Amino acid sequence: MIDRRGPVDHAHREAGATFIKVSGRDIVDGFGDPDGEIAIAHRLGLADLSHLPRVGFRGPGTRQWLVLQGIQVPHDPNRADLQPDGGLAISRSWTELLLLADLYGASGACARLESMRDEAQDVGAFVLPRYDGMFWFALNGERSIACLAKLCGVDMREVAFPPGSVAQTSVARLAAVVVRLNIGVTPVFYVLGDSASAEYLWGSLIDAMREFDGRPVGLGAMRALAGEFE
Amino acid sequence: MPVDRLPPPDGFRIDRSRPVGFEFEGRHYQGYAGDTIASALVAHGVWALSRSFKLHRARGPFSFAGGEASTLVQLMSEPNVQADVREIQPGMRIGGQNTIGGVASDLAAILGRLERFLPVGFYYKAFYKPRGIWNWWEKFIRRTAGLGRVDSTWTPEYFDKVYAHCDVAVIGGGVAGMAAAVACGERNLDVLLIEREPGLGGWLTYGRLLERDGGSVLSDLRDRLDELPSVRVMTNATCTGLFTDNWVSVTRGNCLYKIRAKSVVACTGGISQPAVFRNNDLPAVVSAGGVQRLIRHYGVRPGRRAVVLTAGDEGYAAALDLTERGTEVAAVVDLRSEPTAGEFARDSRAAGIRVLSGHTVREAWPQSGQWRVGGALATRVVGPNSCAAEGEAIDCDLLCVSIEDAPAGGLLAHNGATFGASANRALPHLVSLAPHVFAAGTVAGTRSVQQAVTSGQDAGESAGADVAGSLTVVKHRPTPITNELVWPVFPHPHGREFVDLDEDVTIREIHDALAEGFQDIELLKRYSTVGMGPSQGRQSAVATAAIVAAATNTSFAAVGATTSRPPVHAVRFGLLAGRSFQPVRHTPIQGWHVDAGAQMMNAGLWMRPAYYGSPDERADAIAREVLAVRHGVGLIDVSTLGAFEVRGPDAVEFLERAYTSAFRRQPVGRTRYALLTDESGVIVDDGVAARLGPDHFYVTASTSGAETLYPMLLWYQAQWQLDVDIADVTSAFGAINIAGPAAREVIEKLPGNIEFSGEACPYLALRTGQLAGVDVRVLRIGFVGELGYEIHMPWSQCRGLWEALVEVGKARGVRPFGIEAQRVLRLEKGHLIVTQDTDGLTHPHEVNLGWALSRRKPFFVGKRSIEAMMEVGLKRRLVGYQVPDRSEPLPEEGCLVVRGDEITGRVTSTAWSPVLDRAIGMAYVAPDQAVSGDQFTIKGDGGRLIVAQVVRPPFYDPKNARQEM
Repeated sequence: MIDRRGPVDHAHREAGATFIKVSGRDIVDGFGDPDGEIAIAHRLGLADLSHLPRVGFRGPGTRQWLVLQGIQVPHDPNRADLQPDGGLAISRSWTELLLLADLYGASGACARLESMRDEAQDVGAFVLPRYDGMFWFALNGERSIACLAKLCGVDMREVAFPPGSVAQTSVARLAAVVVRLNIGVTPVFYVLGDSASAEYLWGSLIDAMREFDGRPVGLGAMRALAGEFE
Repeated sequence: MPVDRLPPPDGFRIDRSRPVGFEFEGRHYQGYAGDTIASALVAHGVWALSRSFKLHRARGPFSFAGGEASTLVQLMSEPNVQADVREIQPGMRIGGQNTIGGVASDLAAILGRLERFLPVGFYYKAFYKPRGIWNWWEKFIRRTAGLGRVDSTWTPEYFDKVYAHCDVAVIGGGVAGMAAAVACGERNLDVLLIEREPGLGGWLTYGRLLERDGGSVLSDLRDRLDELPSVRVMTNATCTGLFTDNWVSVTRGNCLYKIRAKSVVACTGGISQPAVFRNNDLPAVVSAGGVQRLIRHYGVRPGRRAVVLTAGDEGYAAALDLTERGTEVAAVVDLRSEPTAGEFARDSRAAGIRVLSGHTVREAWPQSGQWRVGGALATRVVGPNSCAAEGEAIDCDLLCVSIEDAPAGGLLAHNGATFGASANRALPHLVSLAPHVFAAGTVAGTRSVQQAVTSGQDAGESAGADVAGSLTVVKHRPTPITNELVWPVFPHPHGREFVDLDEDVTIREIHDALAEGFQDIELLKRYSTVGMGPSQGRQSAVATAAIVAAATNTSFAAVGATTSRPPVHAVRFGLLAGRSFQPVRHTPIQGWHVDAGAQMMNAGLWMRPAYYGSPDERADAIAREVLAVRHGVGLIDVSTLGAFEVRGPDAVEFLERAYTSAFRRQPVGRTRYALLTDESGVIVDDGVAARLGPDHFYVTASTSGAETLYPMLLWYQAQWQLDVDIADVTSAFGAINIAGPAAREVIEKLPGNIEFSGEACPYLALRTGQLAGVDVRVLRIGFVGELGYEIHMPWSQCRGLWEALVEVGKARGVRPFGIEAQRVLRLEKGHLIVTQDTDGLTHPHEVNLGWALSRRKPFFVGKRSIEAMMEVGLKRRLVGYQVPDRSEPLPEEGCLVVRGDEITGRVTSTAWSPVLDRAIGMAYVAPDQAVSGDQFTIKGDGGRLIVAQVVRPPFYDPKNARQEM
């Protein structure tokens, strides 16, 4: 069996990451300092969630078919809605949606829907292989807005870009989807983009974070952040 | 020289408990934290900071506000530092600029005596005769002129860029700007107040009004700002440009801010203007504002005995400030014959300060042996631009000048504001503003604190209404013009009345330029260089307009003004260049390649292995890889290929229209060459279309073409509105090409459910299934001309499968190969590479791809153009060639194909084939040169003529037996 590998895995290993299995894939749990990483996640942390499940659908029948499958589809493009199972549905246009798994990869919705590709295609909803095609980073913490301001021309302050907002824009000159969430009062930005440029953007984000003493964190810190508010 | 500091409360910007030592021109000085270079030096009596650009005259600060080039100094690693703005740092080493031997003993000062040999426009009249003399002059000019020295050993610093957003950007934190920010903040608008200086308040922080009613205004505005959380204040921040849609560029420290504001209020203030008289450029000839800044900001007594030349009440304020601090004011020389009774004029007279009304300073002179003013001749004004020759000589060590401030309107002008001039008034005034831009304070023509506050409030409220979408916004209320001052320009028989201190332009030179016919203000600027120095005319434009108006007997309005261009203040190159973004794309196997010693190269944004091995053995490494593929088995990472999913009932119809080939009858499970032309019939890309189902194609594209091809396909679909979805899955699929006679043997060692035999998976077949547990799409194609399988699989499993193939291929000596070997291999097969063997004019018939055009289709993009071009006939052909003489050097790509004096084509690809043991290539030739076996001539390196012979490709395995085995 050939393992799936993430585009930034080697950087995590070099940084001393520890891994846990989620949905059968090795994902960074942390970097050896769980309590410290939670504090970092509150201030400014960057997590690589690229190994969590996600899938896209596009086509004229996408919305209707996904609603039939129980997905709470955002009403408008460039909006993201949390799902009852903890996942996220991101509307990229009237005919395209991106579905992200929850932080535990527990719901199985992405895999279930992807396995229904033929049925979906029959009604005009074409599956898009976003797990392999897009990286998925999470920039967390109170300084994340200031950090993103060094890379992206979109006003990311909460007043202009409240939770649930989606920007399909350029981050460090790379085409990216930026989604704003809040975990409690901590701002979280999901940044998704072309897998081939994952290393480039990871490096660019780490460079931009230095000014704010930001560092990589693992899924453990993300989950702890979420757990504080459950 | 004793240090001349004033006691507190003067000097509120310096911290007297923190002395700071620094060096200037090799001598040690001491200032205080908060001092600028200029204030700390002036405290020691050092006024001459640099030399002028052309005549090398000693120069010092005038405004103490960063307005002029006279203050530019050299730090160790940074040229052109504004000494009147930059704060001193411990250990700072500072030198003057434009000197040979230092400011005090500049050897190039002799140029000042050669002034008559440097007439206006001499740049255009000299240096080019006799022929070749420029080479000598260039060295001389570069040595004697230039603004500072670049330190090429400098260690780069970290320069940053940040985006920011706000409802209203208020540019300028003086009283008007503060009032505007308060007005916006009280409407709960998100406000960014941008101030160039360390603190807010503008001239209320140094002007004499501070001790009268100004103090309460300032503290009131400060208090109100402090209570407004929606107002963010940026101090030490310089706004350098105001662009379309209120894109505001601001620099602070090592950071460039890119600010987007819904509305902008510009409160950029005014610019102190010098008077023009003989030797007006001497150090310690300084503006009234500069004197007051020295006193209140830095606690420096500017001189012991002063003459004040004024045209308004502000000069009297400076005189009072000086008197109260022990400086003897020998006289206030008032240009007005009947001075308006201002409060400071009254106070001055009450204080016993002598006033010479209707007088001017005709000339100044230096102190003996000092680079500083030593006296002034005050004479009666007898008419416009005219004064008596005889008058009163007054000794002084400070000549304070207070003429009207010109509006600092550069930023507004960038964004489309217009300024006008009245018939008799030299100073321009604001006429109109761009949409969503407002102005207040001095730049908008106010003359008093209360006017400034009111205009700031008005502008802030207007900006707030504008943000709210009001259509009835009051843009600008002009302030009534009351003063019709005749601008103080006084020619002297012996000249040296400097109009532009940056470029050492005098009154006579302006007159000479006008006499030579350069009467248009823009032409005059370029010919005389007035306004072309680092100050960009901030302190010379008004005087120039006055001189031109007088000399040509026209109004100021008719003279007009030159165009103001960004940046309005100097910007360090590091800010423009720093922290740039250059996205890079890596394949999933990148790390393996690097570990294996690949020499990586750019292919568009991608990084790809060129070859594996040391650069010293490049040719051998490439040859090894070629031979491995020809005789054994090789692996190449082709994840960079573009990949598109074309799905839906109209998938076939879409491909039929977009590509030249026919796809309707293409069986499921087969691949087909896919050529794409644009509307003009020019080849834009090629790839392979693999049919996965009746309504489902997987189409590959070239590495370089994929990024532009996808938008092109979407554009077609937007027009055709077919029932099809086109998805770019380039980064979702990795791809490996395993090629060579042993390819099948190796791939079959991996477990899976695909049969790879020639019968089960013939040439051009498409098979899907599992290989080593990975879902794969296998395309049986042969770009390199050997038995080969192009395996496409999920991106995340590509490296794992690569490593598995390497492992099972060890026994057969599997070798990775890079794109250099691939180029040789495909050339041996005569396969072209789009963009290397084609150009922006190549149509399919020129490169022998007529077979890829479906004649049965009624339409494909480019069809009509190709047919039209073929009616005209071919003008060139791409042919394969070999160089029969093995001793000849390898022709290089781009070498011309010549026939006598005629150029008939060029080489597009070239390589030494290790298999064929000769030089082969492809080249465009004239159609009559394209006969197989004929010879043509290539003009090689150094003009060497190389004979080549046309060979019909493929060079290798002409019957394609190897790739179809």
